[in-house]
Amino acid sequence: MTVSLLTGSEAAAYGAKLAKIEVLAYYPITPAFPAMEKISKFIEDGEMNTRFVRVECDHSALAAALGASLAGSRTFTVTNSQGLLYMTEVVYHTAGMRQPVVMAVANRALSAPHSRFPEQGDAISQDASGWIQLFCENNQEVLDTTLQAFKVAETCRLPAMVNYEGYIQSHTQEEVDVPDQAKVDVFLPFKRVSALDINNPQGLNTVTSPEFYMDYKYRQNEAMEQALGLINDVAGEFGRAFGRDWSGVIEGYKMEDAEHAVVAMGSSVSDARIVVDALRAEGKKVGLVKVRSFRPFPTQALRAMLKNVGLVTVLDKNIIFGAGGALGNEVKSTLYGVSSVPVKNYIIGLGGRDVGPEEIRQVVGLAEERIKQEIGYEWFGL
Amino acid sequence: MVKNLPVVPSAKPGTMADAPSGIVWREQHPVIGEGCNQCLICTLFCPEGALKLDGRRVTVSLNLCNGCGTCVVECPQKAVAMVPEYQGDRGVFPLKEAK
Amino acid sequence: MTLNIKDLPQQDLFGPGNAACRGCGAAIAGRQAMKALGSRTIITIPASCMATLSGNNQRTAWSVPFYHTLFEIAPAVSAGIRASLDAQGIKDVNVVSWAGDAGTADIGFQSLSGAAERDDSIIHVCYDNEMYMNTGGQTGSQTPMYAMTSNQKQGKRTGKKDMLAIMVAHGAGYVASASISHPLDLIEKFKKAAAHDGFSYIHILAPCYRGWEIPTDQSVATARRAVECGLWELFEVVEGKKVRTHEPSFLPVADYLLPQGRFKKLSTEQIQEVQDSVNSHYGRGEAKQ
Repeated sequence: MTVSLLTGSEAAAYGAKLAKIEVLAYYPITPAFPAMEKISKFIEDGEMNTRFVRVECDHSALAAALGASLAGSRTFTVTNSQGLLYMTEVVYHTAGMRQPVVMAVANRALSAPHSRFPEQGDAISQDASGWIQLFCENNQEVLDTTLQAFKVAETCRLPAMVNYEGYIQSHTQEEVDVPDQAKVDVFLPFKRVSALDINNPQGLNTVTSPEFYMDYKYRQNEAMEQALGLINDVAGEFGRAFGRDWSGVIEGYKMEDAEHAVVAMGSSVSDARIVVDALRAEGKKVGLVKVRSFRPFPTQALRAMLKNVGLVTVLDKNIIFGAGGALGNEVKSTLYGVSSVPVKNYIIGLGGRDVGPEEIRQVVGLAEERIKQEIGYEWFGL
Repeated sequence: MVKNLPVVPSAKPGTMADAPSGIVWREQHPVIGEGCNQCLICTLFCPEGALKLDGRRVTVSLNLCNGCGTCVVECPQKAVAMVPEYQGDRGVFPLKEAK
Repeated sequence: MTLNIKDLPQQDLFGPGNAACRGCGAAIAGRQAMKALGSRTIITIPASCMATLSGNNQRTAWSVPFYHTLFEIAPAVSAGIRASLDAQGIKDVNVVSWAGDAGTADIGFQSLSGAAERDDSIIHVCYDNEMYMNTGGQTGSQTPMYAMTSNQKQGKRTGKKDMLAIMVAHGAGYVASASISHPLDLIEKFKKAAAHDGFSYIHILAPCYRGWEIPTDQSVATARRAVECGLWELFEVVEGKKVRTHEPSFLPVADYLLPQGRFKKLSTEQIQEVQDSVNSHYGRGEAKQ
């Protein structure tokens, strides 16, 4: 066990290194590229025995990783924002081909206008793609989640995204404990599964008629629903091996007697913890729900956590134009039919607009003021 | 009832040979005549692989032939002739070979 | 090296039962190529007629590992497959991306260029019917000047983008043109590509009777006329050195062009223009002066 000062980019790179990926492909994009360069440095220094395909675009990066995965290798890529959107076609296809590719996403806002700053809109754009999506609150979680993601992906045969925010996490150093390789090898063994096997030929992805397509999608969805339990199991296993589990799909912080719940994902979670502690010290019964798995969405667990609250505030660093925030909409559908608790959805931090504990505290106050008002979603910070 | 399907969308190898689609549209098929000297050029020009050397003769598989006529045009010995599948609206030959 | 047809394997690793139209040039090309490549081959095919005729649902006409990829990415996927085989220590497998003209020269151009520049150990094959046949026959960069297509009834106004020259310019170690009408030449070229360690490119003329408006039995004969009139030069470029592999007999270009419905509106001046460009390329006739 070695504790180092690592950026989120480096944490993701260490995750890929400890997972002993066989093939790597990436195309540089801001602010995801430091993770890519770190892995390349590991390879050039002989610390990783990995083949690197120096592709000519982001779309080809996932294509090459997918090809290597089909041929039986453990593969990895990194991207965000424009690169992720460019890759979208291959993103959906990879999930349909049931390949356990893991992708680190240094979440960044989407053009236009052109922004290089953090926001979760890029991940949200892939919400229907069939990828597991996990959101990390700090750099330790980025490293740990990368390892957990390989295990979850390879068990349920679905690809997985490990999300962390550009700059806020990708470029900021935090203390990170880098696990021992030997212990990781025990947690994450490798079993080769080759769809393109020279000794066992088959034809992949033939033209599929209406008679069969929907059945394939049903099975894919079934795998995604099973991933809920799997993410929790893998987290538990990781916790027993390394002392940190990150609570699986969802975490409640001071929720036991909470009257007002703040729901968030990503870096805002660590800021929200500070706000909850401060408000508790003032006698306010506020709690925090950290959504770690956005896909599959932890509907049952969230319902249970919000059972006794009188107000829910959801923070979204994304916007679905004309429809509100993605997490806000998920929370509202989760509660539909089981609870009439008011849900206040706040759009915050788009394009890197700064949101820290002070801002979150203000949002909590605003939500309480407006508790009786019917507001679909509101913007904060303008 | 959800169908039982492989995890990765896939097909077992060589499985179209027993369910060829083109033969139902075939209007004519080749007959190899005495002039054939087994040069085997036709076997390289058939889109379906229906022409094969079988012992000392070149044979046509009616399970695979679509009736395109390329072999007739390409045979250097002009040893291949086409016969129509139909007389009027009646099929003269069975579409597939009996097993 | 003279190849004897009797030495070729009888088994068809591609072909039996495929869903091609009658007389399909692509299917002919696939069968011929597999005689050279053999069973230790993994083939990726992007969206194209070839991908469509290769199988549907739980059936495929391939007996080697085959993967129908997204349209743009066959060379990138193949690069990834090769990286995985390298990591596994598997060295004796051909990795082939087999694309039509769109998947090679247009929508697939970017990933092809990347693979060629990286000198990835794959063989990229373009089977060229000079139009986007899988979507009904629209114009692409490989459509020749004046050819009529489903979305350009007035005929194409620009020439055919020279993919062979482009691949040579990428520094590809083995680049060759081929034609379904010259199968032994094609098979020899595939064998050389398979033996070449690094990126190889083979561009096959594979007529489509529907798009070219010729009878179903004329795919091979039409390709032969393209070669013999000089419009489709058969050559290979090995480490930058070009060698012609067939000397054309210089049939008049009109004998190749006019039997095709897609060229039926060619004027005498346009035919002469094409003839002049052929003469000039080979240093023949009046254009030489």
